[in-house]
Amino acid sequence: MGIHCLVCIKSVVRAAPKGVGPRTPENSELNPFDRPALEAALQIREAEGGSVTALSMGPEVGLEALAEALAMGADHAILVNDRVLSGSDTLVTAQVLAAAVTRIGPVDFLFFGTRSADSDTGQVGPQTATLLGIPFLGGVKEIRRGDTAWEIRRVMDDWDELWQADTPLALTIHPRAYPPRSIALPGIAQAYDSLEIDTWRLADLGLTADGVGLAGSPTRVVRLQEVRRDRKCRMLEGEPQEQVDALVAHLGRLGAMESS
Amino acid sequence: MTEPFYHAKHRVLRRTVRAFCEQELRPIAAEIDREARFPWEVVEKMGRLGYFGIQAPSGLGGAGLDTVSYVIIIEEVSRVCAAIGLCLSVHNSVALYPILAFGSSEQQQRWVPPLARGEKIGAFCLTEPNAGSDPGSIVATALPDGDHWVVNANKVFVTNGGIADVCLIFARTDPQAGRKGISVIVAERGVPEFVVGDLEDLCGMRANPVTSVRLNDCRVPRDHLLGKPGQGLAIGLAALDIGRVGIAAQALGIAQAALEEGVRYANERRQFGVPLSRHQAVQMMVADMATQVDAARMMVYRAAFMRDSGDPVSLAAAQAKLFASEAACTVTDSAVQIHGGYGYSKAYAVERYYRDARVTRIYEGTSEVHRMVIAREVLG
Repeated sequence: MGIHCLVCIKSVVRAAPKGVGPRTPENSELNPFDRPALEAALQIREAEGGSVTALSMGPEVGLEALAEALAMGADHAILVNDRVLSGSDTLVTAQVLAAAVTRIGPVDFLFFGTRSADSDTGQVGPQTATLLGIPFLGGVKEIRRGDTAWEIRRVMDDWDELWQADTPLALTIHPRAYPPRSIALPGIAQAYDSLEIDTWRLADLGLTADGVGLAGSPTRVVRLQEVRRDRKCRMLEGEPQEQVDALVAHLGRLGAMESS
Repeated sequence: MTEPFYHAKHRVLRRTVRAFCEQELRPIAAEIDREARFPWEVVEKMGRLGYFGIQAPSGLGGAGLDTVSYVIIIEEVSRVCAAIGLCLSVHNSVALYPILAFGSSEQQQRWVPPLARGEKIGAFCLTEPNAGSDPGSIVATALPDGDHWVVNANKVFVTNGGIADVCLIFARTDPQAGRKGISVIVAERGVPEFVVGDLEDLCGMRANPVTSVRLNDCRVPRDHLLGKPGQGLAIGLAALDIGRVGIAAQALGIAQAALEEGVRYANERRQFGVPLSRHQAVQMMVADMATQVDAARMMVYRAAFMRDSGDPVSLAAAQAKLFASEAACTVTDSAVQIHGGYGYSKAYAVERYYRDARVTRIYEGTSEVHRMVIAREVLG
């Protein structure tokens, strides 16, 4: 039987020099914050048996992120892709993912990265868990099987917390926990030689166009503007001691350091 | 822009290999060059990840990838550490490939899995003190004696020599038959008659343990003959066709690295009140470098793509190797020039690229030999 781990992943924009543009495989990649989540799922499968499913919602470039998940070792991959999903905010994304998770069937662990490298909201994991009505723990560092329940360790500020929980359970994995494995070359060959990624449309999930995309989203991005940070270079002069004193005094004025 | 020759798989592969090289090889590349040290700690990881069996079938422990993938891997590894790119190129193309193409099923079962997993390293032993560009003039012999060959050979400039367990030895099995009397014998290290010489103190590629390999009355079992007796030079040439694509990819990787460093420095360094990149003299250099790298890339990937399509590849491989290796020397030279005095210092990576590039015009066929091959193909 084993443990069924479902990992929600995202294809993120790697570099968008001029704001939002068309998504291509060249400017997209698997969200780096999702890799530790995939790694955690693969480690659970290796220790407990079972399977790992990768799930993504988004445009077709998501196929590449899913293929990468398969190359890493995931067993199944599903892309929810429909033109009308374009413009969906985090709430709608969570609704769609929750519908997909329900369709996939029984899941023990539902994994997310803590956030995405491009839109950086950190909302989709907890929102999906809430919609599914399953418990959620964020920023998880370690998952292990205890005597009576799963034990989940997370670190908050200077506190190390140990939680007990039963599955099904939704988790986001801390970016520095579970360093992702290097993808083995045979994994790439195998993933692509028989690339099996299911593509689901909105209708497959029993959702309608008016509830998703821009139309169904309670929030929307109305403006996107690059933030320019002014950087000033000031050369300090004098003997080294004078330069250090001037630097300390300056940092003190900025409040970055206590001045003596 | 290598898209015409690409599948989605190749994009993921390049990203994967680049990430691995940046993480594992970049931090040690300068140090292993300085210390002339072979980095087993990284090589063992690469073995587990499939880098030593790129085109070997998965059933024999390989990664089961195509030639375009092979070229991507050699280019990306060489972009960070050419000496390890060299190790992989030689191991995969001129040591492992002949066993896959010419070995019996029993030989493949014996040698391919440990080679493909990087547990054993392969080498190609053709060159002798008086036979390099003219392989037909080798004097090594392998004479039958009961169940064995008695091999006497003095092979020099053996890439991977210091670490190789499985060596393809080119030797005369029929001393009377001239070029048709040369065969390939697979000799395994580990007997006293198999002697590995001292490390060559080379200009570049210093992390690769290049040595001589000498076999003195070394008895090798009869079933270690690869292919048929007298097939040696044909095996060698077939291996060098794919080997040349690998060396071309290696030269491309070095040139790409030099271009990146040249551009970075040109944008950082200021002279006469503006960055170097604002000076037309530097712009002209960068334009030529970028063009050379791009042209080399087209030729290298075309040759790999042709090979995957089943087309004859000797001409395309020779042209790619000639052009890419010459380009690597020109581009690394320009990168040093952009860096000025700093480019001549070991403090900057372009100094290493400049040294590493030079040998790509020499090994696995000099530029001059490649021009001979190309002229022969073109003139008919």
